[in-house]
Amino acid sequence: MKKPLWKRIYTWVDERVTLEDLVTFLGKKYVPLHRHSIWYYFGGVSLFLFIIQVVTGILLLLYYKGGEELAFESVQFLMAKVHFGWLIRSIHSWAANLFILAGMIHMFSVYFGKAYRKPREMTWLTGMLMFFLAMGFGFSGYLLPWNELAFFATKVGTDIAGVVPFFGKSIMEFLRGGEDVTGATLSRFFGFHVAVFPGIFTLLLGIHLILVQRQGMSEPIEDGVNDAHTRKTMPFFPNFLLRDLLLWLIVLNLIAILAVFFPWELGKKADLFASAPAGIKPEWYFLFMFQTLKYLPAQLWIIDGEIFGIMVFGVAGLLWMLVPFWDRKSSKGERSRRINYLGVIAVMYIIILTILGWTS
Amino acid sequence: MNESMTAQTQEGKRGFLKFVLSGSLLALAGSIFYPIFAYLKPPKSGEVEVSSVKAGKVNEIEKDSGKIVKFGTKPVILLRTAGDELRAFSATCTHLDCTVQYKKEMGLIWCACHNGKYDMNGRNVSGPPPRPLDEYRVVVQGDEIIISKKA
Amino acid sequence: MDIMRVTLVLFLLWAVLPIASAQSRVNQCLTCHEALDDKPSGLFKHDVHFEKGVTCAGCHGGDPSAEEMDQGMASEKGFIGVPKGDDISKACARCHSNASIMVKEYNSVLPRNQSEILATSVHGKLSTTGKEHIAQCTTCHNAHGIVSAKNPASPVHPLNVTKTCSKCHADAAFMRAYNPALPVDQLEKYRTSVHGVKNNHGDAKVAACASCHGSHDIRSASDVKSKVYASNLPTTCGTCHANRNYMKGYKIPTDQVRKFSSSVHGKALLEKHDLGAPACNDCHGNHGAAPPDIESVSKVCGTCHALNASLFASSPHKAAFDSRRLPECETCHGYHEIVAGTDDLLGVSPNAVCSRCHNENRNPKGYAAARNMRQLIDSLESFEINADSLVANAEQKGMEVSEARFKLRDTRQARLQSRTMVHAFDEQKFREVISKGVEVASLVTAEGQSAIDEYYFRRWGLGIATLIITIVAGSLYLTIRRIEKAQSAKEETH
Repeated sequence: MKKPLWKRIYTWVDERVTLEDLVTFLGKKYVPLHRHSIWYYFGGVSLFLFIIQVVTGILLLLYYKGGEELAFESVQFLMAKVHFGWLIRSIHSWAANLFILAGMIHMFSVYFGKAYRKPREMTWLTGMLMFFLAMGFGFSGYLLPWNELAFFATKVGTDIAGVVPFFGKSIMEFLRGGEDVTGATLSRFFGFHVAVFPGIFTLLLGIHLILVQRQGMSEPIEDGVNDAHTRKTMPFFPNFLLRDLLLWLIVLNLIAILAVFFPWELGKKADLFASAPAGIKPEWYFLFMFQTLKYLPAQLWIIDGEIFGIMVFGVAGLLWMLVPFWDRKSSKGERSRRINYLGVIAVMYIIILTILGWTS
Repeated sequence: MNESMTAQTQEGKRGFLKFVLSGSLLALAGSIFYPIFAYLKPPKSGEVEVSSVKAGKVNEIEKDSGKIVKFGTKPVILLRTAGDELRAFSATCTHLDCTVQYKKEMGLIWCACHNGKYDMNGRNVSGPPPRPLDEYRVVVQGDEIIISKKA
Repeated sequence: MDIMRVTLVLFLLWAVLPIASAQSRVNQCLTCHEALDDKPSGLFKHDVHFEKGVTCAGCHGGDPSAEEMDQGMASEKGFIGVPKGDDISKACARCHSNASIMVKEYNSVLPRNQSEILATSVHGKLSTTGKEHIAQCTTCHNAHGIVSAKNPASPVHPLNVTKTCSKCHADAAFMRAYNPALPVDQLEKYRTSVHGVKNNHGDAKVAACASCHGSHDIRSASDVKSKVYASNLPTTCGTCHANRNYMKGYKIPTDQVRKFSSSVHGKALLEKHDLGAPACNDCHGNHGAAPPDIESVSKVCGTCHALNASLFASSPHKAAFDSRRLPECETCHGYHEIVAGTDDLLGVSPNAVCSRCHNENRNPKGYAAARNMRQLIDSLESFEINADSLVANAEQKGMEVSEARFKLRDTRQARLQSRTMVHAFDEQKFREVISKGVEVASLVTAEGQSAIDEYYFRRWGLGIATLIITIVAGSLYLTIRRIEKAQSAKEETH
């Protein structure tokens, strides 16, 4: 019987690169099955969304023109004249938000599952760095259509960056490419968004994925039952992968529906001399921090309120990122109520303040 | 007998499922790649306009004449003077927004609605218009006239 | 009898005393200067100040009771001699701006702010010498024979005021020193106007210089506070012309200001402050004010509505109207109460003006032309409305149709042009303009429609894509189940 095509290709490559080992290794991969297994999917969903961003982003690059003279008009052109331009752009905008949402869910599920504990500290670190980069992607990409809302949101956001003591002004000028938000800011953000961030992100992603492959899936700490024989598992190939693909299909459909029924707005072109419209707020993933700053009083003892807020968030973020190193209990394999409570508080805080920020 | 039949129907079902899966996968691929390929094909109106606009070739506009050109969403009047100078102004009359025109016999820009007149520098010289017309920058690249916003 | 006699004497004394006391405000200055046949003293005898008992010292200072010159004209007694420049007005203002003098002493109802107002008026500016203001009180009121403005002997009485103002304002050399661009022919023009003619014949009720420009408060016509500033002018003219009682006997209507204010010109000028809109003087003239003659109405309207006027002048209506003594533009559009020209004016419906003359049976050609033109413009309007609603619909659906919106301008432009072209009263020319508009409107309609179609196409496309994805997902799910069943079967057999 003649071999099917794919088998012949496989043999041809295998004769040259020895794929056997890899295939065996992959065939042995398994995914633990327990009541929290559902969360395992969110890493993959985040990855899928990132891939969508890269593909749609590259497509957008073919028509987008950077620079304050043409940016807005090129996006307008995309939405109006380019075939399916409206679709590509709306997918890109929606998937960006879903990407950050999926990333958050993934991060919190890892946190509550204490999957960051030894030996997976580096996986957590690269993941956190990728998450911060994702926020950077969101912030820089938001400005690129050079519309009114984006312009002012960037102004406010970089203003806040400028509040950091000592380095704040330099950071702000570095971000803005000058003292104010101008076309120079747009150029910079464009460079960050399509070159700098993707490069760094890909590096981190590579490390992250290799680590996951090498170390396998982590399981939540459960009293006793970590026995290799009683553990229920599912092979990664083909079971988990196919289920993963199924979920990805559903996500794809969701994005398509959002893109058609809730197309991303463009609004008015940014006018550097206009006054800010009322109610400027950043995208939802920054909202909880923005709202917190609004609630802080102007002065707390001798420290300026805004500076205090930023410092608190900075320290909080740092602590969060270093959790594998100060969570002693989990690294010993013990359950930690404290970590759980901390996590619940964090989630609640973020949700409540985001809602408050949205409805204010 | 029964077993072979169930085995056969199972085979049949399996084959059908495979067929449906591969068929729909193909359709999915098509519904993803069709928009992408359509997207890659450049649309008819080519360029993004509006910071600057091509207004035709120099030999397409006669000496001592004017024509209306679309600049984004606004009309612009392009003039070629008798002295062979190219000038461009906003064509929206500053009185009540009618579109102005060049009147050769008057040597002026004229608004038909209420007899408003502007000189060849866009300044309002007679009639109701309260302000001059905004000026645009005209540049000739090769033999192509490009109109852009004044800095 | 005695008591009655005493009462009579007392009464007479009481009546005579004030006069005596007036005379008892001894005016030795006058006594001497009269004897000298001094002109000012002669004039002063007819002065209202003399009547009220004000002595020469009232303005010149000094001691009016002193018989000797050096005592009477002593500077220690406040004598200022003949005041020059601003000292003149200061002397007048000493009393005329002083409430305790004017009201308490003289029971006067005259205003007391003339100096104040004059200072902010155009005459309150400094003269060419720089040492005093342009006008002093005496410039217009004279110095020694001052009488009330209502007195025909006063230089500021309506029948005399033109001469008074012309003293400066008709002197080209004088005016050149202050404002070379200001005309000096106002009086000449005035004399050709209805006001001027009547004023010449002794009618003191008609407008003279001060009636429109004010007296102490005269400002340049380009000054927003001036009574003759464009948007203030209708009110100024209306002070007389809208007053039924005042205008009794002149046999002209008094509804002009009311009609004008509700007209399109009035609304533009008075509500929107469009200074391009005409005020009374733009059609009637300023100093040469008179209603335009029948053959010149279109020329007057044509100063702004140039295209309509020139089309009319070369149309068949010009000769027809002139021969019937019909006042051109006014016949169809009115004059003071001109409303915005809508399509309703055209055609053969009850509101339209054409059928007033063009009878269906007696003038079938004109009637048909009117009817057809109205139909054409109505059809253009409906095309435009349709196109506009399609584009608006597409916009509401979130589709990008700014180009179509831009093209819609041309349709509106065509409709405006057709309303102007009506004045040629030529169906063929009208049709040409309309068809250009219809062409653009059809283009826009097509673009709007395709935008809407694209909107639905997207939803259909989504539906199909969802269907495909659902089938893939469904069959994928079944495949997974199959694989897992096979796997568990395998495990069981092991």
